[in-house]
Amino acid sequence: MDEFFFLPSWAVQVDDLQRLALLLLVAVIAGEAAHWLRVPRLLGWIAAGVALGPDVAGLIDRDVIADQYGLLQIAIGVVLFELGQRVDLGWLRRNAPLAGASVLESGLAFVAIFTVLWLLEAPPRVAATAGAIGIATSPAVVLTLARDLRAQGQVTERVLLLTALNSAYAVVVVSVLIAWLHVEYRGEWLVAAAHPLYLIFGSAALGAAFAAVLIGALRLLGNRVEAHFLSALALVVVAVSLAAALNLSAVLAALAFGTCARAFDRGRRFVSLDFGRLGRILVMLLLALAAASLELELVPAGLLAGAALVVARYFGKSLGLLATAGVSGLAPRKAALVGLGLMPMSAVALILVHETSTLFPEFGPALATVVVAALALLEVVGPLAAQFALERAGETAERR
Amino acid sequence: MEGLEFKRSAPLTLGVELELALVNTRDCDLTRAASDLHALTEGAIHPGAIRPEASESMIEVSTSVHSRHGALAAELRELRGHVLAAADRLNVLVTGGGAHPLQRSSGRRISDKPRFGLLSELYGDLAKRFAVFGLHIHLGCPDGDDALYLLHALSRYVPHFIALAAASPYYQGVDTAFDSARGNAVFAFPLSGRAPFVLRWNDFNGYFARVREMGIVASPKDLYWDIRPKPEHGTIEIRVCDTPLTVDKAAALAAYAQALARYLLVERVHPLNEDIYLPYGYNRFQACRFGLEGELIDPATRARRSIGEDIAATLEAAAVHARELEGEEGLAALAECVRGAGNDARWMRETYARTESLPDLVYRQAQRWRGATR
Repeated sequence: MDEFFFLPSWAVQVDDLQRLALLLLVAVIAGEAAHWLRVPRLLGWIAAGVALGPDVAGLIDRDVIADQYGLLQIAIGVVLFELGQRVDLGWLRRNAPLAGASVLESGLAFVAIFTVLWLLEAPPRVAATAGAIGIATSPAVVLTLARDLRAQGQVTERVLLLTALNSAYAVVVVSVLIAWLHVEYRGEWLVAAAHPLYLIFGSAALGAAFAAVLIGALRLLGNRVEAHFLSALALVVVAVSLAAALNLSAVLAALAFGTCARAFDRGRRFVSLDFGRLGRILVMLLLALAAASLELELVPAGLLAGAALVVARYFGKSLGLLATAGVSGLAPRKAALVGLGLMPMSAVALILVHETSTLFPEFGPALATVVVAALALLEVVGPLAAQFALERAGETAERR
Repeated sequence: MEGLEFKRSAPLTLGVELELALVNTRDCDLTRAASDLHALTEGAIHPGAIRPEASESMIEVSTSVHSRHGALAAELRELRGHVLAAADRLNVLVTGGGAHPLQRSSGRRISDKPRFGLLSELYGDLAKRFAVFGLHIHLGCPDGDDALYLLHALSRYVPHFIALAAASPYYQGVDTAFDSARGNAVFAFPLSGRAPFVLRWNDFNGYFARVREMGIVASPKDLYWDIRPKPEHGTIEIRVCDTPLTVDKAAALAAYAQALARYLLVERVHPLNEDIYLPYGYNRFQACRFGLEGELIDPATRARRSIGEDIAATLEAAAVHARELEGEEGLAALAECVRGAGNDARWMRETYARTESLPDLVYRQAQRWRGATR
């Protein structure tokens, strides 16, 4: 019998929850430091993720990230629900060229990325999938920036609308490509047609159904803000896990959920629905974990292709926006700022890489190398570009 | 320094300026859109002017000079069409009303124009709180003396304009109990209130030279009086009205001002002396607080009656003049308010009671400004 039984055994066990708590603490401090340096707080969160991640301090190792994949999905669900709530599909009806701008910026980004990677001799499948992933702007980054800077105006609103739309396109295009790969790899034509349709309509229907339930519940609950918040959060969590269980897209479902929740709220009684501090914590975790999960060892190999992807994507998007600036009622200068605002790329892209690689381990590594390098660049460049755009547009609140 | 020259203009001509709120379609809070909206309307050919004002969440619409209510109303409707076409492309809602019901001053941004930057520095938070929205009615006057006569004679009727136009019961998220909370916000400014009792343009120039020497004001624009002379336009400007919820109401109020001016100038009913200002503050407060149900003390007879009754009586007295000026339609609309329809503040309270959602109220205000009925 050990007479010093009361002393703890060495080394002290650290479980996942404590690791995440530490990650949050470091992220908060790094965020304030970033703010002090006049760069977006979320750059600090991202830096904290990298610093504590597997390649540096190792507190957040690959196992933790794999175990917390569910949490990541919930955080993405919350972010996309909030983004969906800010989307006014009526705007596309009142300003039809804006829908054209959305399709064009996404389409040209895809074409530009595909072309550049193909010229760099990437296999067409990889180039196409990377192009599809590159369509998406990071909802977490643009939404958090718009909030932090209290940005309001055309550039902000258009960045948010286009982000919601291009995230949806990216999911759909990736699923179409996956279907195409199904054919090429395994020759199942029926699957090729049915899979994207199931994904799109299934996710949209799931989102709409949850929105109807949410609005019904909120009516019953009356004017109690914390009851609103809790029921919305619970339903987002259930919707996201149900989407996963049904092999639907959590991204599309959460986006449809938010958009429909707004559309179904006829009396505009729940417009202030947001996830407050908890939403903030989830976004911090999302961005930090996404950064931690970047396999930095891939970056040197993919740096050239990744940088080419970033540049091609930016020019594709900007060209699409500039071409449609006049008809959609925006000065070219502001359209260019919208192009900068759409640069951030983060967790949605990561989830798409993850899903594609799981389904097709055959070409996973090649894709990951390119996209991870691009993501690593955009984790830094994206938020800076977006903040610059919102500030230059004069849409941010005055600094205190 | 030279005195201010009062530019001659045709008597009883009319023009109005409307300050309108720009809100987003999501939670109907104030948004920043004035310069983008201005850029979109710049290309179109329209009468009057549409331009950004003190803040990015406000757009000012002003008409050209008119002599008849009908033409003024038609032009206002045309301008509304231009503003709405641009606002729709930007996904922005446009509303009337004297103050934004949800407004918090923190997130607002003062326009980049140098003049407003200066104001913001001088008045601090007041400049932000001044994000209230008014209707300004200009009346043409042949010379400065006539302008000052009309200015003082009209002061008795200031409560009428406040009560009829009142459309700001909600301010910063609460029901203020006032029909026009905007009136209170304006009073916080050091240069608000009423004009000094001078009746000759020369004397006014003397007054203005003295306050300018003291460094209180730099130009007549710095005087935020309820009614002020506007020598460079040759008008007096009635500034006490909240922006009504519809352009038709704005035109009707202008027609009332015009008929009233003709009544005062032709019949010269009120002998002017400084005593007309004894109940001024009391009457003004009653109008802001209680609207048409407020109490008005007649400075000449000392009789008390409700502002609504006083308006009804005045509408009758000025009816002949309204006919002369073809403004009966405008006055009829106001008579309807007094008889029972109430002012816009009442409509806002009734609308809010249905959903208890201020964003929804703002949304419905925007629909109303668009011309939708109810």
